[in-house]
Amino acid sequence: MNEKAIEKLLNPPPNGKIAAAKEFGIDLTLLARKLRLTPEERLEELQQAMESFEELRREAEKSRQNDKTKVGNRSARPAQS
Amino acid sequence: MIKLRSAIEALARHKVKFVIVGGVAINLHSSAYVTYDLDFCYSRERENLKRIVEALAHFKPRLRDFSENLPFIWDEQTLKSGTNFTFQTNIGDIDMLGEVTGVGAFEDVLAQSKVMNLFGFEINVLSIEGLIKAKKAAGRTKDLLVLPELEALQEALKREE
Repeated sequence: MNEKAIEKLLNPPPNGKIAAAKEFGIDLTLLARKLRLTPEERLEELQQAMESFEELRREAEKSRQNDKTKVGNRSARPAQS
Repeated sequence: MIKLRSAIEALARHKVKFVIVGGVAINLHSSAYVTYDLDFCYSRERENLKRIVEALAHFKPRLRDFSENLPFIWDEQTLKSGTNFTFQTNIGDIDMLGEVTGVGAFEDVLAQSKVMNLFGFEINVLSIEGLIKAKKAAGRTKDLLVLPELEALQEALKREE
């Protein structure tokens, strides 16, 4: 259905907004892939992305807490003579 | 993090007049943009406020920028007393906009929306053109950063829609 649009994204016509987006650093292959999905599939992917980021955020927080504990344990260790 | 399906289905089941705007709308148009809340523009007709109250009551909405200790009543009167609201609910953050900067009030937003089929419901989603207007009008760095992607999609889809 979006084949022409996908083709334009993968081979941007010169001097247009697509070429400008590529120049700006947008990964146009991601947009092309999303165009192949239905709106509902796009929403499901968005939900999965949110959940993955949330899980990463929680892991990073856990790791920071562990680091703090380690530092705390080190500072609490009695000095050796 | 918002549970999108729960929120959209609840609004649609209660026949709320709403248009999805913001990051979720951007994503629905094939952008890779990731957002964590659901923004929608809503009709401020009395009957619609009643439907919103019924649709979202189960999710226990409360104002995000208010202390949890302050009393908050989720009813039509509360919705009547403001235009734009930022809520946290037990399914995530939901922002309700009576108007969208650069686009207008609900009727203007609806006129610039596109119908998409989501979870068996026909849902109005602000068009790419409308999103570009809104982002330009908002003018914050985070809004402007998404413009190249939206404009690329607009150009790619120009003759296909």
